[in-house]
Amino acid sequence: MLGNDIVDLNLAKIQSNWRRKNYLDKIFTAEEQLLITSAKAPDEMVWLLWSMKESAYKIHNRKTGIRNFAPKSLSCTIHANTYGVVSIHNCQYFTQSNVQSAFIHTIAAPFYDKLEEIKFDIYALPDHPVDYKSTQPGCVSHHGQYLALVY
Amino acid sequence: MNKEEIIEALKTIIEPYSEEVTALAHIDENTDFINDLKINSANLVDIVLDVEEKFNIEIDNDSMAKMLTVKATVEIIAQKLEAHAGQ
Repeated sequence: MLGNDIVDLNLAKIQSNWRRKNYLDKIFTAEEQLLITSAKAPDEMVWLLWSMKESAYKIHNRKTGIRNFAPKSLSCTIHANTYGVVSIHNCQYFTQSNVQSAFIHTIAAPFYDKLEEIKFDIYALPDHPVDYKSTQPGCVSHHGQYLALVY
Repeated sequence: MNKEEIIEALKTIIEPYSEEVTALAHIDENTDFINDLKINSANLVDIVLDVEEKFNIEIDNDSMAKMLTVKATVEIIAQKLEAHAGQ
């Protein structure tokens, strides 16, 4: 099982005001909030952590069959080269993120070694393939300008 | 506040976060925030914060986890309002 999540940073800027009172506290653990407040680019850190959580949730949700909205229960640690680990209860998911000026894309797998094998495609509007479902992607993520598929 | 009044107040909160005009016009208990209204998951947090402000209640993490449909959200609001009234 694979996960992936893309954040269109230009859309996120206008769609979400993470500086709103109590916003961060609903989503991020104390450690994650510290990463955000001490980051040189806090906006980037918010959406990097968010895409890690979302990509891991997409695997965890299918694995457990549990659908919920509990972003704070997914706890992120970030390692060198934007590799990461997302833990929830006794499960761990491994992530790798691609941070660009216009988007952040994270891929997730249940095993670290699997990350290397993941193939992905990112399309910006208006170049989204109409028939992408026929390529049977392992996970689809869509936000703003972008469509991201993993195989 | 009865259930209908809570749903009406909730509709006003939800509207700015969805572009699904038809689904918004037909909101009922079974409406799903993500599947039907295509609300971005980062905006679900805004809905939770708006609900807290509007109804003057606190939504704990376990309650927030269930807030993916109108039905679940209305139930949580009603419970919290009742607990509030009993204090």
